[in-house]
Amino acid sequence: MKISVNWLKNYVNIDPKTDWKTFEELLTVRTAEVEEIINLSKSYDNMVIGKIESISAHPDADKLRVTQTNVGSETLQIVCGASNIFEGQTVAVALSGAMVRWHGEGDWVEIKPTKVRGVESNGMICAASEIGLKDEIDGIMDLSHLKFKPGTPLAEALQKDDVLIDIENKTLTHRPDLWGHYGMAREIAAITDEKLKPLTFYTQYNQKLPVIVPVKVEAKELCPRYLTVTIEGIKVEPSPEWLRTALENTGNRSINNIVDATNFVMLELGNPLHAFDTTKIDGGIHVRRAKKGEKIETLDGEQKELDTDTLIIADDKKPLAIAGIKGGLHSGISPDTTSITLEAANFNPVSTRKSSTKLGIRTEAVQRFEKDLDPLLAEQALDRLVKIILDLCPNAEVKSSKQDLNNFVYKARHIKFDLKKASQKIGVEISPKLAQELLEKLEFEVILPKTKSSQIIEVTVPSFRATKDINHQDDLVEEIARLYGYEKIPASLPEVGIRPAAPNTERREKHQLRDWLSLELGFKECVNYSFYSLKTLENAGLTEAGHLKIRNYLSAEQTHLRTSLLPNLLHSASENLKNFDEFKFYEIGHTYRHVQQFFPLEEKNLAGLVVLSKKNKQEPFYIVKATINQLLKRLQLTSLQYGPSKQMSPLAHPNKTASYTDGRSKQEIIQIFELHPAIAANFGLDKCKVACFTLNFTQLHPLPRAELKYRSIPRFPSIQFDISAIIDANKEVADFEKAIRKADPNLIRDVQLFDLYQGNNIPEGKKSLAYQITLQALDRTLTDAEVKPVQEKVYANLKGLGAEIRG
Amino acid sequence: MPGNLLQQALEEIQKADTTTALKDVEVKYMGRSGQITELLKTLKDLSPEEKRSKGQEIQTLKTGFTEAYSTRERYLQKAEIDAKLKAEFFDITLNEINPTRSLQAGTIHPLSRMQREVEQLFAEMGFQIADGPEVESEYYNFEALNIPSHHPARDMQDTFFLDHPKDEKHGHLLLRTHTSPVQIRMMEKHGAPLRIIIPGRVFRYEATDATHDSTFNQIEGLFIDKGIGLAQLKGVMNEFLQRFFGESDIKVRFRPGYFPFVEPGIEMDMLWKRGNHSKWLEVVGAGMIHPNVLKAGGLDPDQYQGWAFGFGLTRMAMLKYGIDDIRHLHSNDLRFLNQF
Repeated sequence: MKISVNWLKNYVNIDPKTDWKTFEELLTVRTAEVEEIINLSKSYDNMVIGKIESISAHPDADKLRVTQTNVGSETLQIVCGASNIFEGQTVAVALSGAMVRWHGEGDWVEIKPTKVRGVESNGMICAASEIGLKDEIDGIMDLSHLKFKPGTPLAEALQKDDVLIDIENKTLTHRPDLWGHYGMAREIAAITDEKLKPLTFYTQYNQKLPVIVPVKVEAKELCPRYLTVTIEGIKVEPSPEWLRTALENTGNRSINNIVDATNFVMLELGNPLHAFDTTKIDGGIHVRRAKKGEKIETLDGEQKELDTDTLIIADDKKPLAIAGIKGGLHSGISPDTTSITLEAANFNPVSTRKSSTKLGIRTEAVQRFEKDLDPLLAEQALDRLVKIILDLCPNAEVKSSKQDLNNFVYKARHIKFDLKKASQKIGVEISPKLAQELLEKLEFEVILPKTKSSQIIEVTVPSFRATKDINHQDDLVEEIARLYGYEKIPASLPEVGIRPAAPNTERREKHQLRDWLSLELGFKECVNYSFYSLKTLENAGLTEAGHLKIRNYLSAEQTHLRTSLLPNLLHSASENLKNFDEFKFYEIGHTYRHVQQFFPLEEKNLAGLVVLSKKNKQEPFYIVKATINQLLKRLQLTSLQYGPSKQMSPLAHPNKTASYTDGRSKQEIIQIFELHPAIAANFGLDKCKVACFTLNFTQLHPLPRAELKYRSIPRFPSIQFDISAIIDANKEVADFEKAIRKADPNLIRDVQLFDLYQGNNIPEGKKSLAYQITLQALDRTLTDAEVKPVQEKVYANLKGLGAEIRG
Repeated sequence: MPGNLLQQALEEIQKADTTTALKDVEVKYMGRSGQITELLKTLKDLSPEEKRSKGQEIQTLKTGFTEAYSTRERYLQKAEIDAKLKAEFFDITLNEINPTRSLQAGTIHPLSRMQREVEQLFAEMGFQIADGPEVESEYYNFEALNIPSHHPARDMQDTFFLDHPKDEKHGHLLLRTHTSPVQIRMMEKHGAPLRIIIPGRVFRYEATDATHDSTFNQIEGLFIDKGIGLAQLKGVMNEFLQRFFGESDIKVRFRPGYFPFVEPGIEMDMLWKRGNHSKWLEVVGAGMIHPNVLKAGGLDPDQYQGWAFGFGLTRMAMLKYGIDDIRHLHSNDLRFLNQF
């Protein structure tokens, strides 16, 4: 919202030497955020009023003429191409250094002395559009009606010597009283220690006069107050300069004196107003809910269909306006209007806001009504409007009594306010006297405590702050704190006992997992959205069952909440294949599953994948397995059982899948698998090898951990021997290793596979395995004689498995 | 004169600049007919008293020589090895050539890094770290936070609703629009006093562009006790920002702000300096917890009071790392991730 300083000056004294930077800061920290201070005169720098003294032809151009123009301090020769110049004309002159736009288009350029077709020219006589105003006539701006001496700054002559305070609307959400210049002036008076000047109102209503347009408020719940008055003898004409300037400087369009007057009072007091052409009202006014399907053509000519939630102003036959939102075209003010009926009302904020949203119409009126305006303000606004209209139309007369239909009871709000508590909350001692001084500046009434020891004051809230802003003690704490000055509150650190905060072990372990995966194991952490599309989940082999759906999704890509982290990770992988062939990804995040209760099952999960190029000989499955084993070691989690997966993931290759199961809950806490080729193809991952893991962190975290215990380093040397054997290709190595260890569980300390081979020199359907076996005793050095029988036993056990020993 | 002899020998040791030259010095003094050896030989002709005093003198001479000699010897040997090593060519500009390099260097996502850093700073100030569900109810996300059903703030925080039957107490399910519901959950669970921070993912029904995303991360802080006020909020926020940005003269300002769940409501701006430019940046929303919120959490507002604050972790990460487009944070593009 733009507040004009010239306008404010009518209500509060503003120091002409005000430093606007400081002012901006002050208003921001006391009241509401100033987005920008706009100095309107800045764009009129180096522009003055000039008077054309003589005009002569240009020797070299038919369309150009050479003027001698008086600009106060001197007379300049200026070449001009406009046809509407004449001697003695008052014009706008851009002097050297001014910024203008040629023909109102393109970039701003700086005026410099120059030669036009060989004739010297020192400035420019401007058209309105060339200095950023609206062209009203062809050619240059004729300012002969303005009685300003040559040399007067143009900003002053055009009343553009104004400063605008642009307030961030968002910071006025809870302040209906600040939606007009007068309210803002009150606030500024309070923070700059000035007095607020009173307004003048029309007061001589004759309540004996008839009601010309009878009003019936039918939907009382949506309209706490509705006032009207009828004025006749109106002459609709362009607004006088002061009114035009006030509206235009604040970014509003001037339309005619009557409409402008209603807008002026809205921008002054914050209560929207409306003027109807009395002759266009059939019968009386009904404030009622619209009928289903009822239509109205709004002021800007748009057809809107209404429903029963929307409050309208109607006459006996048709809707006239959408209450608090927009007027109708039909009953608006026209150039021939001579009788007007003015409306000042208070509408229900919630219903106004909802109707506005539903109809897609957001107006200055809506912005104000939805903030919950003071119902007392409506009457002041009407009295003020009548005063201004009568000033604008001296022949007009109030021809009706003032109708005031109200459905509210005003009761001043009193708050008992304990300053001891307030002082504690602010962090500064606030005495009753200080509280009184601060609050009275904002028109609160304060009764000081009767006794010296009491810190409880009684505060009466002014009606314009009472609708929703100030309800209880804490609202007053804010008033005092901000007027006292937040910057004056000393910063202090809380005194905290030595009991430290309880650790969040779950969070700590999550961060540790990141360290291990990223810093130790070479994985990259990804962060994906919590949602995916139906297509994505189906591509991943999941079914829609169990998914939570978003009712008002933004895009078709984001309709379902994820039950698994993998689908989005697979998508990320696929995207990265454009630039990289191999990488390892993981993500830690929530998954959400619909279960038979109101709140879904929301769990923390870790998922990852290893993407290898087809050229790479490694099996991604085994990299994933090694990764998990390393994580389990770091997590000191030894209790999970590794084995084939019984609750196989729908994403898994049916053969290449395994899980780590919690013995007690029988839950597969971790699953690892190669990605199913069909799913890989769905995600465009069929040109590489992908293996995945999922880890249910919510279930894993509480599992008991093994303590880290030192085992003594053997004092006696170990002996190693190698063994190589050929066995059926489809036998699992685990059985093979078990058979080796069984040979002597006491002496065999370690069994390491160091070669696995299939191919040349090995019969079809067979594989060759080579192991290094380490024997060690804790109490002696082993002799060859002790090793020999173990070796024999190993051979025998392996042969028992059908192996052929090669050495 | 053994003193002069030692002086002379030490000078020659220092002058020797190769191990061979040093060896020559040793022969000259300590060799079979070296000068010190010769001196020793003269001892036998002396009287016992003279032998003792002279003998000690020569012994000192000998020790002095040997010490200086071996120090110099070690130095020259190292210098000779170094000279040889230096003669070999080695290219330090070369990097390890490893085809699977890309599989070895992992990275932690900038949002996780940032979250951890902030958690650590607050943990050092005695704050406990809490979290809560991302799918919330209207009750926790709005009603309990003093945002009744027709409050305009419900428009301000455009919400994703879930397609799910309504609950009588809880209303509809939604994706939480802020981390504040966890305030209520924590009050319900732990009562007061309470000193926690709540980092987490939040959602807004908002089209994505360079500065807006439907998903982002916030951090919420909460301090409830007896006699807690704005002075301590200022203190804690100053301390946090100073530590976070590693600057001791962070300038902040409090100004009135409006959030339904606090009263007074405060916006905290930080003076952001880059070169000669400085501007106020909105960084934190805060305020004294509204009595209705304390009540919803089961606390007695006459007994307990406190403040809450919240800020965008995503925004902080963007500020700190200079990330110019929010969309990078969910792109998972390795060209982005590899920078962290």
